[in-house]
Amino acid sequence: MGNKMLKRNDMIMMGIVLLIALISLGFFFLNKKEGSAVIITVDGEIYQQTELDQNNTIKIKQDNGDYNEVIIEDGYVWMTDADCPDKLCVKHNKIHYDHETIVCLPHKVVVEIVGGEENTVDIIAK
Amino acid sequence: MKRVVTIITVIAMIFNLTACGSKAEQRFESSFLELFDTVTTIVGYAPDEKTFTEYSQMIYDRLEEYHQLYDIYHDYEGVNNIKTINDNAGIRPVKVDQKIIDLLEFSIQADQLTNDNVNIAFGSVLSIWHDYRTIGIDDPLSAELPPTEELQEMAKHTDISNVKIDKEASTVYLEDPLMKLDVGAIAKGYATEMTANYIIEQGFINGMISVGGNVRTIGTKFDDAGSKIPWSVGIQNPDQDSTQPTVHILQLEDMSLVTSGVYERYYTVDGKRYHHIIDPETLMPSELFQSVSIVCKDSGMADALSTSIFNMTLEEGKELIESLEDTEAFWILKDGTYEYSTGFETYIRK
Repeated sequence: MGNKMLKRNDMIMMGIVLLIALISLGFFFLNKKEGSAVIITVDGEIYQQTELDQNNTIKIKQDNGDYNEVIIEDGYVWMTDADCPDKLCVKHNKIHYDHETIVCLPHKVVVEIVGGEENTVDIIAK
Repeated sequence: MKRVVTIITVIAMIFNLTACGSKAEQRFESSFLELFDTVTTIVGYAPDEKTFTEYSQMIYDRLEEYHQLYDIYHDYEGVNNIKTINDNAGIRPVKVDQKIIDLLEFSIQADQLTNDNVNIAFGSVLSIWHDYRTIGIDDPLSAELPPTEELQEMAKHTDISNVKIDKEASTVYLEDPLMKLDVGAIAKGYATEMTANYIIEQGFINGMISVGGNVRTIGTKFDDAGSKIPWSVGIQNPDQDSTQPTVHILQLEDMSLVTSGVYERYYTVDGKRYHHIIDPETLMPSELFQSVSIVCKDSGMADALSTSIFNMTLEEGKELIESLEDTEAFWILKDGTYEYSTGFETYIRK
């Protein structure tokens, strides 16, 4: 009888382990699929690369004093502050989809999303 | 001297082009910030990254040539450009590259077509606005409007018939010493069109060039199965606080889309926004629309039309567009209402 109990507990244990494994695997694949990056470049050079699904505030300080601030929150990215004259980058819509970019032309800063939710447009006319 | 184009992204989408044997084509994208004071993006298909980079470099080099020739603010060593022509107004004819003469002739035609609403001889008025806008953007507290008298005085020096082109001698001369050329409403689109035609000849037949949102599509793109489908080109939402970046998505194949909008370049005086598209009659920013989008084959014409239609009433604009073949327009009025030319909606992706 005790032996039987053990077997049942074993089964339950195995079930739990399997479940955890499956869940972890699920998380792994889910994360992998959504593992989209936010890539910030300054004059073509990578300044910082980070994850779209990690909330973050990134300050971009260049040696010449140029300053931009980027926020990543709930899968959206936008420029909150910049000391460029026109502030077009700060006015830009939030970005979220694959290959969307925000550019600060005076500071040569490009914020781009790579991976993630598929973009339904190839480019935007403006 | 030549700059290598950086490839920002490579989209790993490989498939077989069943229609032409089994040549594997990949989709690539590159962009650069150096030209026409804006972002240039190239998207397209090539067998490998090296080939695409070569195409990108050819596009860059060609655009750079146009950029220098059509520049009104900067000098380049050994180059006579539009600034050189302006600097020599009333002084002497300037020998220029054929690409400048071609642009000027194209612009003069576009101006005639649009009832003098995209006049490249308007530079003296536009430069006043440019200076006040630059000061206003740099130091918002000291932002001011240009004095009306100054604008009216300079508007006397905008007669396009004073632009003397001598094709035999390859020279351009501005007879009026106070006249200036400003090709800002047309040069980007024209350069994009010329560059697109050039790169097609080089074998780049499925792609897209966007110079600051002046979009020229080349052929089609491909879906996952390798079938040809049109490019999807969005139209910028003038409301930049919206999470919706576009107001419409168009499906385009070998067509251009250019949008002129009030959100591009503006400055604020006493809480009111003044954008950069100046009505040649009032000499003030045109106030009827938030944006005007033009679809037609030629990117230079799309650029010229988007500015000139912006300066016309809706009725005048519609009349002009309906008279032109394969040309459509979309207006977003000041109150947010949408207006379309008769064939525009056939391009909208459902």
